[in-house]
This record gives sequence, structure tokens and C-alpha cells, in this order.
Amino acid sequence: MSNQKLAEYVTLVSSDGFEFNLLRSAACLAGTIKKALDPKSGFREGEQNRVHFETINGVVLEKVCEYLYYSQKFAESKDVPDMDIPPALCLELLIAADYLDV
Amino acid sequence: MKSARAKGLHGDDIDFENTWGTLASAFREIHTKNASRLSYEELYRHAYRVVLKKKGEDLYKRVLGFERDWLSTEVHNSIQALLTPNLLVSAQAVGTSNTNERRVAGEKFLKGLRQAWGDHQVCMSMLADVLMYMDRVYCQDNRHPSIYTAAMVLFRVDILNHPVSDTDARAVLDLLNRVILDQIQMERDGDVIDKYLIKMCVGMLESLHEDEAEAEDQRLYNTSFELEYLTTSKEFYRKEAEFLLRDSDAGAYCRHTRKRLDQEEDRCKSTLSEVTTPKIQKVVEHELIKNRIHELVEMESGVRFMIDNDRLDELELMFDLNSRVDDKKMELVRAVQKRIVEMGADVNNAAVAASTAPAPAPDAPDKGKGQPQEKNSNQQTIAAIKWVEDVLQLKDKFDGILRTSFGMDQPLQTAVTRSFGDFINSVSFPRSSEYISLFIDENMKKGIKNKTELEIDAVLEKAIVLLRYVQDKDLFERYYKKHLCRRLLMNKSISNDVEKQMISKMKIELGNNFTLKLEAMFKDMTISEELTSGFKKHVEGLGDKDPKRIDLAINVLTSMTWPLETMSSGDDEEGKRTKCHFPPALERIKRGFEKYYSEKHSGRQITWLANMGSADIKAVFPKVPQKDGTTKERRHELNVSTYAMVILLLFNELPADQHLTFEEIQAQTNIPHSDLVRNLQSLAVAAKTRILIKEPMSKDVKPTDKFFFNEGFKGAFLRIKVGVVANGNKVESDRERRETEKKNDDSRGFCIEAAVVRIMKQRKELSHQQLVAETLNQLAAQFKPEVNMIKKRIESLIEREYLERIEGAKVDSYRYLA
Repeated sequence: MSNQKLAEYVTLVSSDGFEFNLLRSAACLAGTIKKALDPKSGFREGEQNRVHFETINGVVLEKVCEYLYYSQKFAESKDVPDMDIPPALCLELLIAADYLDV
Repeated sequence: MKSARAKGLHGDDIDFENTWGTLASAFREIHTKNASRLSYEELYRHAYRVVLKKKGEDLYKRVLGFERDWLSTEVHNSIQALLTPNLLVSAQAVGTSNTNERRVAGEKFLKGLRQAWGDHQVCMSMLADVLMYMDRVYCQDNRHPSIYTAAMVLFRVDILNHPVSDTDARAVLDLLNRVILDQIQMERDGDVIDKYLIKMCVGMLESLHEDEAEAEDQRLYNTSFELEYLTTSKEFYRKEAEFLLRDSDAGAYCRHTRKRLDQEEDRCKSTLSEVTTPKIQKVVEHELIKNRIHELVEMESGVRFMIDNDRLDELELMFDLNSRVDDKKMELVRAVQKRIVEMGADVNNAAVAASTAPAPAPDAPDKGKGQPQEKNSNQQTIAAIKWVEDVLQLKDKFDGILRTSFGMDQPLQTAVTRSFGDFINSVSFPRSSEYISLFIDENMKKGIKNKTELEIDAVLEKAIVLLRYVQDKDLFERYYKKHLCRRLLMNKSISNDVEKQMISKMKIELGNNFTLKLEAMFKDMTISEELTSGFKKHVEGLGDKDPKRIDLAINVLTSMTWPLETMSSGDDEEGKRTKCHFPPALERIKRGFEKYYSEKHSGRQITWLANMGSADIKAVFPKVPQKDGTTKERRHELNVSTYAMVILLLFNELPADQHLTFEEIQAQTNIPHSDLVRNLQSLAVAAKTRILIKEPMSKDVKPTDKFFFNEGFKGAFLRIKVGVVANGNKVESDRERRETEKKNDDSRGFCIEAAVVRIMKQRKELSHQQLVAETLNQLAAQFKPEVNMIKKRIESLIEREYLERIEGAKVDSYRYLA
């Protein structure tokens, strides 16, 4: 069990092998990731600080990470600049969002 | 949208049974704490897919089924393993087994249960994480409780409400309650228990609910445990109260109760739940205080004992406890009142006993004034002063109790005041006003000598305090006037300032009306002084240089303000005041003053009251051979009453060996019989002032007795004061007392009439009831008239046509006739 101090960064792995290192606080904005990493539950992801997503490819996951940082950055501000989302990715991003509970 | 999603990312069909198999085995891993081998993402993905495939309902049911299986086999078995026979026995009949074993077994059981509960919570939250998507999509859409909640319900149904074993039908929950109660009982008996552990179990009960609705008051804690806790506590405290009342004293009982209350509060904080605090406190209060307070107060060592022995802290406890259950503190109030009245009655009785007891030393003949009557009334005076001091002491005591123990509580304060009023005004003891006045008199005459202003003030304040309790203020006024009158005329008062201070105090306390006449008396005194000096100058101005001139000091008293009738000795009836014949020397000066006075104030009449005056005589006794052989003329200054002076002046003109009989003296002086007897007694009988010799020598004065001038009189001092028998302020004899009361009643009659007329003048018409009530109200500051008396006065007013009855009115009513 990871009783020791939680690592500041966690790793997200896409289905095609891309790895994204990002702040735990940002990653945990997504419900699914948060629960996967929950130290109280002690799943394998929590032990390794690494979540492997079998269903999300690198392009989409990159965009997800971008969004997580984006939403953390502007969590408490108004007049947020729009985030640029390529229309081609729209559908896949929506599915990922549902899956990740963002 | 969903179908699009399914096609896009997870288009492949899934096999439900397969997936469930994976999930179920994973769940088992979770329950056996092997979660680190599992990938959350994988499990989540499986569950996610199942739900996407509209198999949410199946999944939900499967999970619940899985949990139920798990609980009723694995968990239930593990709990069963904790149930030692010891524990089961103890549950059936508490007290049969060793306390220590029972405690250990109980703790083990509680620990196991808590463990099971903790595990269940952790596992279910993990499962809920995995099944998050199901909760989010399926449960919400179909209004099912989340999987976590549903599983908690399962815990209640399959563990807590499950029978303990196949042979024992009681639910585990009952057992749990029993064990906790048992543990608490052990703590009450002084054992140390694992409070934290119990707190955890209580926490479990608090988070589980009786039914699915999860209402706040339906928590298992409230519906099951708390209920039982309160009933057992009630039983326990009922027994304890019985035991304590039998075996310990009231003080210990109070302390114990206080301790129990604190303990229960602590217990609720540390062991149980804070919501129970008010409830259990109520139980304790009810059982230990409310149901017992009467017995407690009445105990041999109860309030009475505490008061008698100044157990202030215990009284405080008692007060605290009583005020918890009763705002008005009825029981305590009642007990305190009763005690005050009892103690007051004691004081009253002691005073009565002391005043009627035989003189303490009847065989001491050298006591100067040998009259038994005299001694008796002296004794009464002492009794009166003792009474006042006793009452004050009592008052101090209860003030102390009020202050330190009862926190100046309002109801108790009024109770104490009322009780004091009760016994001071009690019917069986009618002398309080007289005694208080006597007390002041005594202090004015002697008590305040050598005291600082502050101390004097304290004494006066005390008197005022008592006065406040007295209902019949008019009676007090009467006595006070009488006593003050004596003090002023005979110059007995030590300090006029103090007298005035006292009056101003009474003025503050009782109002202007009360002291009006008293102040007038002082004014008369001042005017008299002026008159005296004025007259002196006037006489000097006349050029009468007679060396034998007699100095005259005069007190002119307004007859309305001074209670002169009370000054005359009781024998002569009113209005028959005989005029004393003054010897010519006096007569001259008397006329001189009358002339002087009528010049100053025309139309005023002066009545001479010789019975109240006194005179200084320079007497020369002829040479008499002394023991050492020398002969010497002896001079004495005799301070005697006016009457005595008149008598002595008779002998002045008499040859030395001649005598006068009693009758002769009376004929020549015209002094009232009783005054004459008394004066002659003090002149001829009292050993130290025997200026006359009486034949035959006896105490009583008979009309045929002969009196000689005592040429061989010896006095140790130059100034000799010839006291007149029975002339001080003493307690009245019964006869005097009846008279005083009669007079008082008369003056009350006038007061009542005046009040009635005042009221009717204002109101014109009034019913009988209202009139009586208002009259009582108006007169409350002075005295409390009897209703009967008011009735009589009203009758009399009707007779005299101040009022008339209103004919035909429904209730008795009167009209004022202008």
C-alpha cells in the first residue's frame, strides 16, 4: 500500500503506448482517474501511480490532458478563453469524457 | 447517442457471463484485501461496458446477490466465531459470570463486529468506485439506491438482524446492544472499558437505518440502542436512588447525583452519541432527583440538617439539583420556609419563656431595687433584646445561605423573606413591634456608646431590616413614639444625631407619613430649648436676683404628636389628670413662665405634666457625728422627679422631728395616688436613696404610714440620683399591652375610615369587595386590618351618612354622599 507521501506526478498511458506525465491534482479532476488512483482502495493503478487506458488512443488522451490542465488553470476565473478542439476529435473526446467522468 | 458511442469505441459484443465472472472474482479479491493485483481501469471498463450494453439491471442484482452471499457466509461465520458461550450466557443472565471475562469477551465481540463493519465499508466503497458508471447511469435513471447504500442495508439485514445462531433466535443487533449496555454498566460500577471501541460501534449504528427511507430519526442507533439504553439506565438509577436513600445521607446523595450527571454527559461524549446527552440527563434527573427530591429534602440529613449545620456546599448542590428539575424549586423552598418558621417559632418561644420564667436569682436581695415586678420587666426587656438579636442572627444565617448556596435565587429570596414575615408576624407572638422598638431604645440608651459611626449605622440598619418584616407598622410607630418620648424627656438618649439618623432611615423605608410625628417631636424639643433660654433671659431681665431662684427648664410638647397618655401611669383614668399642688416657690416661677409663654403665643394653653419632670435639688443635711468623731455638714445634689421634689419641699418647711403621714402628703400635694406611692417608695424604701424614713419600715406604702426626714442620711457621692420605680422603657405588662392594643385598634379605626372615605370620594360608587380590597391596599404600608374591622367602619360611615348602600345592586355596593 502506498502509505508514503503521494507522488506529485502521475502517468497516464494511452492504448497505443503514449505516456503522459501530469500533476496528480489535475489528473484527479477526472472521476475515473481519481478513483483509480485512490490510495484508500489500493488498486494496482494506485500502487504504481500509472493508469493504462485500453480504450483511449494517444491523440485523444493528449487532448484530455490538455483539457485537465486547462480546467484546473481556469477553475476559479471568469472570461475563460475557449479551448481549441479540432472537430474531427469531437466525438471521440465526448466518449472519453463520459468514460472518464470529467 | 449511446448507440453511436457503442459503435465508435466499444462496438464489439461482450459476453455478460464472462465479464461478470471476471468482476466477481475481482470482488472476491477485494474482499480478501488483494486489491493491489487488480487493475481498476480494467474492472471499470468491464462494468462500463456492461452498463452500456443495457445490462445494468442484471449487474446490479448480481452485485447485491454476491454481497449477500458474502455477508451471510464469510462475515457471518467470522462473527459467529466471536460468540463465546460466555458472551451468550452473559446476554441471557447478566451477572452470572465473572465480570472480567465478560468484559474481555464483550470487547472481542465488539472488535470483531467493528472490524467486519469497517471492512465492509472499505470494500463497498471500492466496489462502488468500480461500479461508478453503473451508479451514475443505471441507478440514477431507475431510481435505485446507489450500490453502496444498498450494500449497507444488506449489512443490517444479513448481519445485524440475523439470528445469532441456529438455536438462538435473537438478532446480532440485540446482542450488540446488550454487550454495549453491559460494558457501560461495568463502567458505572467503576471498571475501565474501551470507550473508543464502543464509540465506533455506536457510529455504525448511527450510520445504519431502520428502513430504506433513511430518515434521521430512523437510525438504528435511535430506534434500537438508545431506546434500550434509556430504559436500562432508568431502571439502574431507580435502583440506585433507592439504595442511596437508604444507605447514605442527603449530602452524599447530592454529590453522587452530581457525579452521575457529569458522568453521563462524559459518556455521551466519549462513548456514545451526543444526541443522547439531553435524553439521558433527563432520565437521571427524573430518577435521581425529581422522583426523590421530596424524600431527599425530608431526610434526617436533608435540608434541615444542612441548614442547622451550615452545610453550605451541600445546600448549593441541593439547590442546583432541584433547579434542574423544577424552575420554582418548590421542594427546597418549602423545606427552607418550614425551617425558618420553625427556627423563628423557637426564637419566639424562647423570648416568651425568658420573659415569663422566674427571676434567675430570686435569692439575691442586694440587687438594689428589690421589687419582683421590676425584675420581671427587666427580664422581659432582656428577653426582647435577645429576641431581636436572635432574629437578626437567623436573618444573617439565611442571608449567608442565600448568598453562597442559592446564588441569590429569586424564588428562594422571596420565600425566605416571606417566612421571616410569617414568624415575626405570627399570631401566637404579637410582640415583635414592641420588641424591635425596645431594641432600638436599648441601643440608643446604652448600646451605641463607644461605637464608631459605622457600627452604629450597622445596628440601625439591622433594626430597619427587621422593621421591614413587620406588618403592623402602626403598632410599631406607637411603641417607638412612646419610647422616643421617654428618651427625649429624660435625656436618656446618647446622641441626638443618631436618633435623627434612625428617623431618616425609617423615613426612607416607610415613607414620610410614618415619621411626621416623630420629627415633630424633635422639633418640639428644639423649640423648648429656645423657650427655656428665652425665659431665663426674661427672668434675668426682670432683675430678680433671688439667690434661691429656681432654674426652670421647660419642654413644651404639642399634645397631638406626643403620646402623653401612655406616659401617665396606668392607674388614673384618662381625663382625670389631677393637678399637682406646687409649693409657693415653684408656683411663682410656673406662673412666670405661663405669662411669658402666653405673651409669645396667644391662645395656647399649657398643661403641666409634673409626672414627667425632674429636678436637681441642692440639699443640706445637718451635722451628724461621723464614725471618726468629726461632725460635718453634708451637701448632696439630689436628682429627683418633680413629684419627689414637691414631697421633699414639704419636709423643708417641717421641723426635724415632725412627721407627715401618707394621707397628709397626698392632701397637700395632690399627687396621684400611684405616683405618690412610687415616689415615696424610692425616697423611703430603696436602700441607697433613703432620704425619708418611713414608719413602720416595710416595702409597701400604706395610707397610715408616717414619714420622717432622714437626718442621718449617708450618701457616697455628691450627686445622687433618685430613680423612680418603674420609669424606664420596659416591656409592657399584659394589662398595659391590652391597653396599647386597644388604643391601637381605635386609631386603626380612624385610619380605615379615612381610607374608605378617600377611596369613595374618588370613586363615588364601588362594590363592597372592591372597596375592601382597595382599603387593604392603601393601608398595607401601615398595617393589615382585619376585614371585619373594615366592615364595621363602613357600617359606621353609613350610619353617619357618609355613604349609602345602593339599592337593588347585584352585589353589595356603596355610594359616596358628598
